[in-house]
Amino acid sequence: MSKKFKVVNNKTHSVDGHAEMMGRAVYTQDYEAPGSLVLKMLRSPHPFARIKNIDTSKAESLNGVKCVLTYKNVPHVAFSRAGQGAPQPSPIDKFILDEYVRFVGDEVAVVAAINEKIAEDALKLIQVEYEVLEPVLDYKTAYKNKSVIHPESGISQAFEMGFRPKDNVAASYEMEVGNVEKELEKCDVVIEHTAETQAQAHAMLEPHCSNARLDEHNRLVIYTSTQTPFHIRRIMAQTLGMPLSQIRIVKPRVGGGFGGKQQFHCEMFVALVTLRTGLPSKMVYTREEVFASSYTRHPMCITMKIGADKDGTIKAIDCHALSDTGAYGEHALTVFMIVGSKVLPLYNKVNAVRFGGRVLYTNHVPAGAYRGYGAIQGNYVLESAIDILAEKLHMDPVELRKKNSMKEKETSPIFEIMGEGTKGTAMIMESCKLPYCIERGAELIDWKNKYPRKEVGPHKVRSVGCAIAMQGSGIPFSDMGSCAITLQDGGFYMVRCGATDIGQGSDTLISQIVAEELMTTVDKIVIYSSDTDLAPFDVGAYASSTTYISGNAAWKTAIKMRERLISEAATMLGVKENTVEFDGKKFVSGEKEISLFDLSNKLIYSAPQHQVAVTESYIGHVSPPPFMAAYAEVEVDTETGEYEVIEYVSVVDCGTTINPMLAKGQVEGGIVQGFGMASKEAVLYNKNGQMLSNSFLYYHVPTTKDIHKLTTEFADSYEPTGPFGAKSVGEIGIDTPPAVICNAIYNAVGVRINSLPITPEKILKAMKEKENR
Amino acid sequence: MKLRFYLNNVEVEYEIQPDEYLAQVLRRNGVLSIRIGCDESACGSCTVLVDDKPVLSCGLLAAKVEGKHVTTVEGIQEEANRLADYFGDEGADQCSFCSVGFALIVHALRKEYKNPTDEQIKDYIVGNICRCTGYQSQFKAIKAYLKEAK
Amino acid sequence: MSLRAKEYYRASSLEDAYNKLKENPKNVIVGGGLWLKKTGLEYHTIIDLSNLGLDQIKEDKDFIYVGSMVSLRDFENSPIINKLFNGVIAFGVREVMGPAFRNIATIGGSVYGRFPFSDVIAALLPLDVKVKLYPNQEMSLNDLVNYRGKLDGIIEQIIIRKEEGKAFFKKVKTTALDFPMINFSIVNRSGKNYIAIGSRPGVAALAYKAMEEADKGNYEKAAEIASQELQFLDSSNISKEYRIDLTKVYVLRGLKEVNE
Repeated sequence: MSKKFKVVNNKTHSVDGHAEMMGRAVYTQDYEAPGSLVLKMLRSPHPFARIKNIDTSKAESLNGVKCVLTYKNVPHVAFSRAGQGAPQPSPIDKFILDEYVRFVGDEVAVVAAINEKIAEDALKLIQVEYEVLEPVLDYKTAYKNKSVIHPESGISQAFEMGFRPKDNVAASYEMEVGNVEKELEKCDVVIEHTAETQAQAHAMLEPHCSNARLDEHNRLVIYTSTQTPFHIRRIMAQTLGMPLSQIRIVKPRVGGGFGGKQQFHCEMFVALVTLRTGLPSKMVYTREEVFASSYTRHPMCITMKIGADKDGTIKAIDCHALSDTGAYGEHALTVFMIVGSKVLPLYNKVNAVRFGGRVLYTNHVPAGAYRGYGAIQGNYVLESAIDILAEKLHMDPVELRKKNSMKEKETSPIFEIMGEGTKGTAMIMESCKLPYCIERGAELIDWKNKYPRKEVGPHKVRSVGCAIAMQGSGIPFSDMGSCAITLQDGGFYMVRCGATDIGQGSDTLISQIVAEELMTTVDKIVIYSSDTDLAPFDVGAYASSTTYISGNAAWKTAIKMRERLISEAATMLGVKENTVEFDGKKFVSGEKEISLFDLSNKLIYSAPQHQVAVTESYIGHVSPPPFMAAYAEVEVDTETGEYEVIEYVSVVDCGTTINPMLAKGQVEGGIVQGFGMASKEAVLYNKNGQMLSNSFLYYHVPTTKDIHKLTTEFADSYEPTGPFGAKSVGEIGIDTPPAVICNAIYNAVGVRINSLPITPEKILKAMKEKENR
Repeated sequence: MKLRFYLNNVEVEYEIQPDEYLAQVLRRNGVLSIRIGCDESACGSCTVLVDDKPVLSCGLLAAKVEGKHVTTVEGIQEEANRLADYFGDEGADQCSFCSVGFALIVHALRKEYKNPTDEQIKDYIVGNICRCTGYQSQFKAIKAYLKEAK
Repeated sequence: MSLRAKEYYRASSLEDAYNKLKENPKNVIVGGGLWLKKTGLEYHTIIDLSNLGLDQIKEDKDFIYVGSMVSLRDFENSPIINKLFNGVIAFGVREVMGPAFRNIATIGGSVYGRFPFSDVIAALLPLDVKVKLYPNQEMSLNDLVNYRGKLDGIIEQIIIRKEEGKAFFKKVKTTALDFPMINFSIVNRSGKNYIAIGSRPGVAALAYKAMEEADKGNYEKAAEIASQELQFLDSSNISKEYRIDLTKVYVLRGLKEVNE
């Protein structure tokens, strides 16, 4: 089914890897203007308090301090830092600085000084008198709690999303297809399973940072490590009351994002300081701030009720969830909806399905966008529940999945009902190789021989577990990407796009797409992204949209460029367009021919002397899901509960892999990040709401020694609506590890761990409890 | 106070504070290849070599390199360029914020071990965190590089 | 907050360093400087011992002499240390972070800090180790570890007695770059068993009663006793109960291994 390509689907080095390893100045901090003021933030020591008095006079009079910002001297305009499109699908519940502080580490005041030490000294001189308020530190008690986290006026929702701040509800959602209660009553077997997911830190290596200056036109220019330059510009202009034309956002290389850099961090503060002082400024989060004062993954508690017939036909799924959005509501609704919309359609043959619940405010670090975006939470609980159901039905869990899961040309009513905070879009699965993925993965892990377990030593057991997953490819009728290509003299192409390369390699794969269509090689493409002055609009890198949306935009633009070139060549040769053949290097019409090189030079320097430039945009009408099946083999020490993941097998249908090595990198990187969440990583707070895991020493991301063997394959698949048949691959990898490892541990030692991370301690405890029963 | 040392074999003299760490001093003096990921000696991104041994430049007091030889990636450009080829082959370069640290730690590893075992390689690079790749592609790339660059 | 100091002083001798240290209560000896940064405190003078030749490991017939400025990396790579108990002591030290960290961290700093999470102290505690402090003090590592308050002298070297036997080291951790959730260092030297358990979360300590029982060959009972005689507490990432469970398992496994 797949087609033969010359550039896409072929091994191509990333376009920026060499420069980065050789240490070139390419990241945000490398672009700080000389003499920049250093910004430091005074942060709240309380989980919830109101500032009664704040006296900055001593700090302001310290030699070297240029500016101190507090809620008293910045615009009091509510906005959302979420970095999403318009209308904003997250509650508009944050002020630049506020008289309330809502988590330990929340923003109180900003000092700008001539160096870091003076800025730090100035922070100590700011006197704050707090009225300490009763915090809400458990989201299960947040609903209608007497402590109201957002009592202030001026906050709002852009459309009805169940935002009820007086009840501590940031958003809520309910939907039902068919009649779930009635269907469940009719089922032979019904199981119910509840499990909890924890907050996870993005832990990208480059800390959040921004710097600002005024340019020769007195415009505000901000370099920032972001996934969403255009949203940053729009939201900043609205919040600061500036014309968009006065702001330029430049995104240099970004040292990892994973959703964490979709939102605002330092941008508003460097902007205000530079506007106020006229001086360049910079702000770099400390690692502690990255952990304790940015965003986490939404912790959730999810219940799945599944009904099936004796023969293993799943008839109904009922899913109820609670989500903790922390102090602010960034991505509260949209992450929540993904728990249903990108998880439940996996089992699309049900007669009824229901999904709903609430997203609650607490006095924890706010939750935000994070790779997986609700799907990983939902997947953990659903795919654990499927194994529970399989056991009850005395069925092999692989067989149960094969029987009930999504197949090509099928659909789910959920697609039409649930979208990005609003209604969704109906779609048929034009490409879905999930059955193959399940089959092939079982073969690779040797399921037949290894399921469920084998003793391998006096206190060592090996076992296997599995799960399937899906994701999306951008948000239909919302995510838009654009691309501009100009033919340059010398016969090469300048590609400018808004697609935001944050390390995932979008500059590389967009170069490949353009090169494929123009029948040339990647070295003839110069790509530049992303800069609001120089690149055309793109929503940015989120929602698994880059390959599909921005890739389609690039493809569309390249097609247009090819047509334009043929037309220019025809004019130049004095022949009809339909007689011209172009092979990427020369244009031939009968006896006549001209090389691209000559054409490009003549176009510029002789006649007709014009620049050939095309711009196109793409807006998705569907969001074709990538699918995958995952299997793991684990070895468990039955005396201590300690375990190692010996091998992790992933078989992925993401359509055509535009760059097979980068696609593999996305899957494996996602698997290991998901493995971290499944097995090791936990954001921990003390009883006063202070984050304990605020350092790499206390927050445990997997290391090279924790990874043994990753086996990753791609299904032969072609998505007709994707660029050269591609779908997304950025998020799908992260979804399965929690369920796969949970299921494998169950198969090994007979205990199911219903909260993440699945630690040796929890396993041993559960084993002891089971023995004592 | 004055600090004199050899930066990539060239003697330099910087004005420093007694409480400054090497990473900040190098960046302030234009060595922007130093990537400060955590500034708490826990991620490996800011690795440099001092007298050929890998150290975390954010955890080493600048005053400690008085008279010593400091190597940054600017001093091993050719090796970094070649290692980048291997990373490219395996798709092991994503955000690449950790890449400079890997270039330096792998350079030191190559000097210290003639034929390292898989375990020795992992023990050597374990302090270099990568949040993007899942490590396997990097490990394969490093292994192939070591084999051919012997 | 970043570390603050007004001066940096490169001592010319231990005496010079000691005098400088006594000049001002805000003066401080720096080992590697890793922990100093984390304190984020204000000091007057940072005193550096790098020029005093304390980065050597020497041996004679009965003892190994490790200078306080020997880096953890040089320690673990030393052929002398690797001959000790089949390299298990070196292995224990190798469990600390990555090599670029261990090239900075020093043996003296690791011992002086008496950090509860120290793998270095746990690895060394079951051995016969003396710590020599300038100007005129020598105490066993165990006494130093249990010493409360500020040490008066400057750690000059640690002296390890060479003995025959076997060792076992286990660090229970979440990832390879983690502090230990608990660590076990079990040594049979010159026919006697020594059991040190660290990060309980208290600093490593010897389990004397368990050691006695182990010498009688009752390993299971010794493991049980070890889990009772030392203090185990909850931490944010591990409970008291799990620490006790692990103690029973790993002390038994360790004793079996070193007595094989």
